[in-house]
Amino acid sequence: MIDENSRPLVIENLSFRYNSRKEPAIQEINLSVNPGEVMLIAGSSGCGKTTLMRCVNGLIPNAYHGDLDGGIRLYGQSVLDMEMAEISQKVGTILQDPERQILGTYVLNDVAFGLESLGLPRDEILLRVDQALERMGILHLRDRETFGTSGGEKQKIALAGVLAMNPKILLLDEPLASLDPASAHEALQIFRQLADEGLSVVIVEHRVEDVFAIEPERVVYMDEGQITYQGGREGLMQVVDYTRIKLPAEVVFTRAKNDPPPEFEPAVVKTEDNSEELVKFDGVHFRYDEDLPFVLEDINFTIKKGDIIAILGHNGSGKTTMVKHALGLLKPTKGVVLLEGQETKTITIATAAKSVGYVFQSPSQMLFAPTVADELAFGPKNLGYSKDEVRDNVQWAIQTVNLSDEMESPPLALSFGQQKRISIAAILAMRSRLLMMDEPTAGQDYWNYRSFMDSILQMPGFEAIVFITHDLDLALTYANRIIILYDGQIVADDAPEEILLDEDQLIKYRILPTSLLRLNKLHLPETGSFFRAETLAHKIG
Amino acid sequence: MDRIDPRARWIFSFAFLLSATMFWNPAFLLLFFLLAVTWYLLGRTRWKETRRGWLLVGFMLFTMIVINTIITGGGAGGVVPPGGHVLWPAGFTIPLVNWQIYFGLTVERLWFAICQLMRLGGVSLIFVLIPYTMDPRAYGATFRGLAMPDSVAYTMELSFRFIPTLGRDLAVTLDAQKARGYELEKFKGGIFQKIARIAPLLVPVTMNAIIASEDVANAMDLRCFGQAKRTWIYPLRYHWWDHALIAFSALMLLGSVVAVHIFNAGGFWVPDWFMRLFV
Repeated sequence: MIDENSRPLVIENLSFRYNSRKEPAIQEINLSVNPGEVMLIAGSSGCGKTTLMRCVNGLIPNAYHGDLDGGIRLYGQSVLDMEMAEISQKVGTILQDPERQILGTYVLNDVAFGLESLGLPRDEILLRVDQALERMGILHLRDRETFGTSGGEKQKIALAGVLAMNPKILLLDEPLASLDPASAHEALQIFRQLADEGLSVVIVEHRVEDVFAIEPERVVYMDEGQITYQGGREGLMQVVDYTRIKLPAEVVFTRAKNDPPPEFEPAVVKTEDNSEELVKFDGVHFRYDEDLPFVLEDINFTIKKGDIIAILGHNGSGKTTMVKHALGLLKPTKGVVLLEGQETKTITIATAAKSVGYVFQSPSQMLFAPTVADELAFGPKNLGYSKDEVRDNVQWAIQTVNLSDEMESPPLALSFGQQKRISIAAILAMRSRLLMMDEPTAGQDYWNYRSFMDSILQMPGFEAIVFITHDLDLALTYANRIIILYDGQIVADDAPEEILLDEDQLIKYRILPTSLLRLNKLHLPETGSFFRAETLAHKIG
Repeated sequence: MDRIDPRARWIFSFAFLLSATMFWNPAFLLLFFLLAVTWYLLGRTRWKETRRGWLLVGFMLFTMIVINTIITGGGAGGVVPPGGHVLWPAGFTIPLVNWQIYFGLTVERLWFAICQLMRLGGVSLIFVLIPYTMDPRAYGATFRGLAMPDSVAYTMELSFRFIPTLGRDLAVTLDAQKARGYELEKFKGGIFQKIARIAPLLVPVTMNAIIASEDVANAMDLRCFGQAKRTWIYPLRYHWWDHALIAFSALMLLGSVVAVHIFNAGGFWVPDWFMRLFV
């Protein structure tokens, strides 16, 4: 039995309401964390996870103000009686986007930041920085610039910066969000190792299945600001709505048998092999500068009417670079890209945009207009459509994404999910034949991204869809063709049922097999195709 | 240049700025300009790496010297006495629209433009060099070493951390808007229409920067920024040549004050040889 004063974290009847809101963000939270434990806090967007973290790390009430009730104790001491400096030496926090957490231009300076702020002697700082970098296995990055490091490296740098301050509790806010599967797996192993060394690790994440791989001792599920489940992993899998968070496929498969089958009919349908070619890559090589190595090498493939293509590959494999060529945003160094038979080098991007609609990762990278109506009219106007055509296209697009009521709303004031749909509508309004999406599910929780993908794939208007993703399950659920890129080369291009069978091959290309893939493979002789777990549950027995 | 302590470099740069801007006397300005050229050459930068900086400076110099001084004469106000030897009285006619442009350029104003070029050019040579030759890790420690508060000193360092991020965000937004048929080069209409045409780029980049700033502020709070007297790990140490440079900077500034305010040697004048070229 652990004495209350030696527990790293105890939260009792905690409630908080932001000054800017009427309703509390969290209510009546009770939990505690032991040394050496991994605690997973799961829940969909807006459930209060981030607010809870801010209460623990002291940002509430120091940076965010509102009504705070209840108690938070770190080793028996109330955080309300502690200075930020004191809290930060006990609680280390990794924010969702490590890019924004990295404050130094060089790795050494970033990792040293907290220790410099505490005013420690220079020699001690340098020693502790080296120790933290070594612990993360990135001592070789010590004198590198932070900007040029990969997503996985950035997260390790951010972790080293926090660990250098010797915290007892580590708070991780959606730490897997910007990582490819192999990097995410590696990061999770590090979290487990840190817990085994005695730290208390609290992971806020909706990719529950991934976190289960490191066997968290305790799982908390939050919904609408309250804890609705607290206990072991097995219990969570039985009580939580399986459409809200990503549970192992076998669990969904078993539970979904008792529910009605999901309805999903993609609007883009595969046609004959000799169907029309929309885009053709022929011997494409690309490099950003003649002094630099090629980032794409000998790329050959075609996008045809009816294709729903998922492009998989590790961070830095060249996925986005390749897709940008289809629209002419980048031109090949060698080889040609043909868009509806025309070489992209000979046409403007505006001309290409009439055929290819490209949706970037975050809607905030493109939304700017004062109203949704203006936002949707922007593309068609640029393409030179007549006033009547612009009006008709905008009406059709907004109805297609089911947001007609928001025509006069400012796009940036809408929810993230609505903004994503507006960004699709902006492409729809241009009447592009081919939709290309870069990481369409980034920044969305499981339920939201599933409903987003369902609605996009069932939407009329596009003749082919291409999406870049790290999520293998997304690819095998929605795509009828998968392209795998590895170090700038296409290493596989076929139907999901053909190329996802060889797990060793996938691991070689830094793609980790999932429980859904294994479940589908098990039943492939009966089904002949890949499905989501809920559909599979109704197709089998 | 690498061997000079960045604090001494900044002290010299500011002393140069303050000193050079006291003068319109072409003889002194020529001296300052030559000093700046020497300083710039010490930096051993390559044109390829500095050309973007010079493009920006070139645009600024063109606006101030060609447009504001030579064409409109606005920049010469208060320095060049009214009247003078008119060089181009008739101006010219814009073809097709037949607009008469009365140029009214005088020899004095033309010489003033040359003085301005020496003065602004000299200051630009000194300051353009800084981002290309100073270690970005040194900014915070340098400004703290120049007696600025930690918060101001770190702001300088942080801006260098986020310049590449901002540049990348701008490039992504430009690509996202190009994908919607936006063509930056097709700017038409008056100044307000042109500004409105930049909105698709500026609004997303600005909004993202504002949202990101919340995370950056949180990250700094969570790592105790401002909670104690900060240690700056970047090593800074004065050598004898740094002391010599600081002494030279102080003498330059003091000498300039004496020359301008006691001997009244800062005033503008036109050399005879230049006048004789035109009159």
